[in-house]
Amino acid sequence: MRRISLLFVVFAIGAPRAGAQASDPATKELIEKLLARIDRLEKRVAELEKGPTTANAAAPEAVTAPTPAPAVSAAQAMHQSHDQAPVPQTAGPEAAPVYPSLKIAGFSDLDFSATNLHSTATGFGAQTLLQPHSGFEDGQFTLHLSSALSPKVTMFGEITLTARSDAGTGAPPAPGFNAEVERVIIRYDVNDYFKLSFGRYHTPINYWNTAFHHGQWLQTTISRPEMTQFGGSFIPVHFIGSLAEGAAPAGGLNLNYAVGMGNGRGQVISRGGDFGDINNNRAFLANAFIKPDGLYGLQLGGSIYRDELNPLTAPAAREWIESAHIVWHKETPEFIAEFANASHQPIGATTASNSQAFYAQTAYRLPWLQKLWKPYYRFEYIHVPKSDAIFRSVVPTFHSSTFGLRYDITTFAAFKFEYRSYVRRDGPSFYGFFGQTSFTF
Amino acid sequence: MGKRGGFFSRRAILLAAMWLAGIAASGTAQGADIAIVVRPDVPVDNLTFAELRRLFLGDRQFWTSSVRVTLLVRAPGAREREVVLKTIYQMSEAQFRQYWIAKVFRAEAASGPRIVYSSEMAAELVSGMPGAVAFVDADLVPKGLKVLKINGLLPGAKGYPLH
Repeated sequence: MRRISLLFVVFAIGAPRAGAQASDPATKELIEKLLARIDRLEKRVAELEKGPTTANAAAPEAVTAPTPAPAVSAAQAMHQSHDQAPVPQTAGPEAAPVYPSLKIAGFSDLDFSATNLHSTATGFGAQTLLQPHSGFEDGQFTLHLSSALSPKVTMFGEITLTARSDAGTGAPPAPGFNAEVERVIIRYDVNDYFKLSFGRYHTPINYWNTAFHHGQWLQTTISRPEMTQFGGSFIPVHFIGSLAEGAAPAGGLNLNYAVGMGNGRGQVISRGGDFGDINNNRAFLANAFIKPDGLYGLQLGGSIYRDELNPLTAPAAREWIESAHIVWHKETPEFIAEFANASHQPIGATTASNSQAFYAQTAYRLPWLQKLWKPYYRFEYIHVPKSDAIFRSVVPTFHSSTFGLRYDITTFAAFKFEYRSYVRRDGPSFYGFFGQTSFTF
Repeated sequence: MGKRGGFFSRRAILLAAMWLAGIAASGTAQGADIAIVVRPDVPVDNLTFAELRRLFLGDRQFWTSSVRVTLLVRAPGAREREVVLKTIYQMSEAQFRQYWIAKVFRAEAASGPRIVYSSEMAAELVSGMPGAVAFVDADLVPKGLKVLKINGLLPGAKGYPLH
């Protein structure tokens, strides 16, 4: 009789859906889950019926919660974003942080290029991939380290291994990998308004330089704009010294600032003064940007930078760089534009030369095909007057257009394809096709 | 045999009751507001929506100079996470992950949000970690936690933005 009543109840519940879903796997799964839950409840009831136990008042709430939790403790299960990161070893539900707490992430890429260049494109950074021969190229292998040393002190590091034609040993120099400490920073966070740090930075006078660093996967395009290319000379990409930075709500503008003092450029002006300042004049910078509450996604900012240069192949000069950027962070559309003016005045001279660089890049995440495709376009321009003795032999004057398409294979890896055309003042025009797969791990 | 029959009977009734309860609960959950919860000693009772966004974007990292904000975020798949990504972050799941990878890579934060797998776990950790902030279904806010007002509104009020 009881079996009949059971069948009746099950039939009554299932009847409205019986025709369509009697063999529906989802329904079966749901029934199995419910049965498992009943088992758990019955066990719980049995435990309670045995008499007073150690169960606390919160237990029934947890059992009857409508969203059942996996059978893991809070301390075991909580971990860092990006969701797959390792579980911190915590002692109990209070999850007391452990110091130091080293975390490692990585980026890497593999590139392909084919251009109609017949000789090396002088002045362009190696990672712009402008080679006279087509072929594959190892990109950078980048490791990012971060470690909280206390609630207020954090260390950040970035190390790269870069394929170079002359990084190996022997004569002539064989190809190999060049290791470099790109960034190492120790920062004391007083509060949101004031943070003081020391180390080797990517100079915060350029949006791209501090937004993407060596994470090729983070940027939409294959290569950085030439004005901020690694190995390029227009912007001092690295800065060794100290920064004070912070942010304030500023009435909804969300004003961020950074002021810094450091060694400035080395004698090879594409390099920072890692080993010490080459003169007794520190470089100074100031940077500010806003991210208004009312226009979520917008960032507007500007910077100034001042240094005294003693380059190997040009007279000593004072350098001023002023820059500005506007960024729309969202992907429908994405927009980044930057402008910089570099002024060089030889010591003792009364006139200065001004070189300009800018780029504008736009992209759009297509709404179809699972939103995995993002076409993009970038226009770049650099102008160096022949009177600029500092830049004229190391920075190319050109303008270029880049058409590309990014396809996100997974959440953490992408394919990118580009066509670029270049028009140079001091050399023939050329074009090329480029491909890249980049990822984080 | 009788004992076994009794077991099946109780099982059937429970099954039916839980089926119906599940349907009712799912109906409630689809429309429930999301509450922002902190420990009672966090010196904030109300946030504007813009302040809440700054908090969850990691742009505001301190409640006071001595109390750092610790973000607790539900694992992918939870409705609460979907609501927060849609309303506060205005990002897809992939964009959210990329955002935090980039944030840490830029040295703007020492780590991303901590992941929790249930409202109970979120509540447990908020209770135990000074400065922790989490979002939970407003119907499941445990006793002992403070629910922050958003734009002066508590969950359930007309115009409350997180639902």
